Amino acid sequence: MTQDKSNWQQGAALGSTLAAIGFSVLQGLPNQAMAGELEKWDVDAAVLQYVESDSRVQATEAVLGATRNFNSETQLNFKLTVDTLTGASPNGAMPDDQPQTFTRPSGNGRYTVDANALPLDDTFRDTRTTVAVQWSAPLGRDWTYSGGLGYSAEHDYESSSLNASLSRFFNQKNTTLTLASSMSLDTISPEGGLPIGLSAVPEWSSTSFDADFDASRQEGSYADKQVIDVVLGLTQVIDRRTLMQFNYSLSFSAGYMTDPYKLVSVFDQPGGIVQGYRYEERPDSRLKQALFWQTKHQLQGGDIIDGSYRYLFDDWGMTSHTLDLKYRWGLGNQYLEPQIRWYRQSAIDAYQPYITSAQLAENPEALTADYRLGDFDAWTVGLRYGYRFNADTEVYTRIAAYQQLPRDFASDTTPANSGDLPGMTALMLTLGVKF
Amino acid sequence: MASPCEVLLALPAEQAELARRMVRLAADEVWRIEKRYSRYRQDNLYAAMHALPDQSQSMDAETARLLNFADQAWHLSGGQFDLTSGLLRRAWTFDGSDRLPQPERVAALLPLIGWQKIDWVSDPVNPAGEVGGGWLTLPAGMELDFGGIGKEYAADRALGICLKAIPARWRNTGILINLGGDLACNGPRSNSEPWRVGVEPPQSEQTATLTLQLSRGGLATSGDSSRYLMRDGKRYSHLLNPLTGWPVENAPRSVTVAGPSCIQSGLVASLAMLKGQSARDFLVETGLPHWVVDV
Amino acid sequence: MKIWISLTLVALLSGCSGIGVKPWERDLLAQQDMQLISDPIEASLDDHVYFSKEGSSGGRGFGGGGCGCN
Repeated sequence: MTQDKSNWQQGAALGSTLAAIGFSVLQGLPNQAMAGELEKWDVDAAVLQYVESDSRVQATEAVLGATRNFNSETQLNFKLTVDTLTGASPNGAMPDDQPQTFTRPSGNGRYTVDANALPLDDTFRDTRTTVAVQWSAPLGRDWTYSGGLGYSAEHDYESSSLNASLSRFFNQKNTTLTLASSMSLDTISPEGGLPIGLSAVPEWSSTSFDADFDASRQEGSYADKQVIDVVLGLTQVIDRRTLMQFNYSLSFSAGYMTDPYKLVSVFDQPGGIVQGYRYEERPDSRLKQALFWQTKHQLQGGDIIDGSYRYLFDDWGMTSHTLDLKYRWGLGNQYLEPQIRWYRQSAIDAYQPYITSAQLAENPEALTADYRLGDFDAWTVGLRYGYRFNADTEVYTRIAAYQQLPRDFASDTTPANSGDLPGMTALMLTLGVKF
Repeated sequence: MASPCEVLLALPAEQAELARRMVRLAADEVWRIEKRYSRYRQDNLYAAMHALPDQSQSMDAETARLLNFADQAWHLSGGQFDLTSGLLRRAWTFDGSDRLPQPERVAALLPLIGWQKIDWVSDPVNPAGEVGGGWLTLPAGMELDFGGIGKEYAADRALGICLKAIPARWRNTGILINLGGDLACNGPRSNSEPWRVGVEPPQSEQTATLTLQLSRGGLATSGDSSRYLMRDGKRYSHLLNPLTGWPVENAPRSVTVAGPSCIQSGLVASLAMLKGQSARDFLVETGLPHWVVDV
Repeated sequence: MKIWISLTLVALLSGCSGIGVKPWERDLLAQQDMQLISDPIEASLDDHVYFSKEGSSGGRGFGGGGCGCN
């Protein structure tokens, strides 16, 4: 066994010596092992149209990316994203057998929801612009590093971020260890200011509305949040056709993490009468951790299978599983890629579909009825088609359906049927070009 | 270079003009290298190099790369791959006969053979990883023979020149350069169809041609086919050990190697032959695909 | 906890030292389609949707931040 290993090591050393000798005598010529020379600029542009059913959210997102290649390992990337969002989103309240009236987040109006309908707030109309710059380069023979900056702005939210990463190669670049981290500083300045968490939502019809509204406001019109992410990753070449990655990541956020536009319905008892609404409140720090594994394998005919799994857990009590599978079916200049994704989330501790008066009296520290932090399963099924004119030019399109299926909320105090909880179906159409 | 040479391009029929242009570029490059380093001319770099014995001469970048290659190969082979061993042809004539040279004749040549005796100092590698030149001093009576690596080098260079010159639209075309059995190619004929290469067996009882599939890289064969001597039932291959002046013992009849470039394949094939008995073990160690025909 | 991470890392790295390919066997792996994130634009569009609609984010590269959606 030892003899085999030492022979192998000798062979490996011999192999790389031979490779090095062969490489240096052919200086100045394109490496025939590579299909083509690197273009100086690579441009990537895409447009996504996202439409939810039942007149809910509609969004259009356009991305433009340009990469300047200095050599095969050094590049500078610029990215500009603009997205506009319109439509109605669940506001957190439960449907009721009576029509419900809600105050707009800004305090300057109201909207009414039909009996037995899911309460949706259609106030949201926003355009967000993001710019990002990323630089990557090698550091000697065994290391590469990358660093970047990002900035995004929309009318009530602003975020600045910076990231840096360092990678080390081992085993003739078959193994790569990466440590990456990023930090972002966000500021939210919501319409109508910041509500005091768990305070009562003022009733539009009340005579003391103005006073009530002021009473529900915090000092100041904006709040901050800081997020730090760290990822430790191991990428391993398994064989000529297979690549694998394992990541452990940690994300710590501190600051204002509540959604100032979301409410929670207060009932006297489960299935009872609506007493009123409260603004939600989330804890002011969150530590998420995730384990991620991805494998990419190319089959004999050139088709590629890509699968990944992510397990995430945090100190808010949430756990989630994400399973992603793609199969790229190559057909000469074209390809067809079916995609499927399954996501299962279990609610955070502070999530409840509604609250009872009795519970409210106990002064909970945090409370949210935002369905996005609840118990649900989600499926995405997609199909991507691409046509390649040559190695550098491609047009592609992708159509996908995304469906969220809430699960029954089992609870002694606030049970809820999945039928009363917001589900969601969305259609996504993407068109893109690379050149 | 008396063997047939060809350039194969997987271009559609309408691109005949482009194909002709590529072939002209490849041929020009091969002839340029041959003209430069051929030992049969009086007006080339080779002649100039040998016109100033015992004097320090400046070498250009290309010659420097070749000499560095030869130097590394010499080290890697423990002295058996030696560009100065060409002189031994004065003692040996491999015509299939049984006429072995007189040992004294061979011994007389040995003092003029040995890479360690020449003085080659390469310029240091610049930050871009390139070597710009160097200084060579050839002692009187010694000779450098580029014949062992010239063809493979030319195959790789011709391929590289084509890749550099081909328009972006056709950059994924499969191109195969074949210089009398030394091959260099950059990619398969089409997405999944590799080039089919037949390797002629050395003249022997073996009748089947070895057919290989080449998708990328180089292929080179080192073998003796018709160049050998036979005496008293013992076969003397034309591969001479520069340390003794006599043929390598128990070398295979031929070794074919597929490597990332033609010159590298050729080097490995030659090194394997020089290992004689341990040719196969050596080839397995390199990890490269190889085919060996034994005696 | 830190010791466990370092030990696992060392074990993984030394375990990984036998697996892999020679430099000249990287032809397939060098293709754009074989990169772990073969299309960064599609990945970022998807990440944005899932970040806005779900409680999880990141795992592959970086976690959230950058927008007011969650």
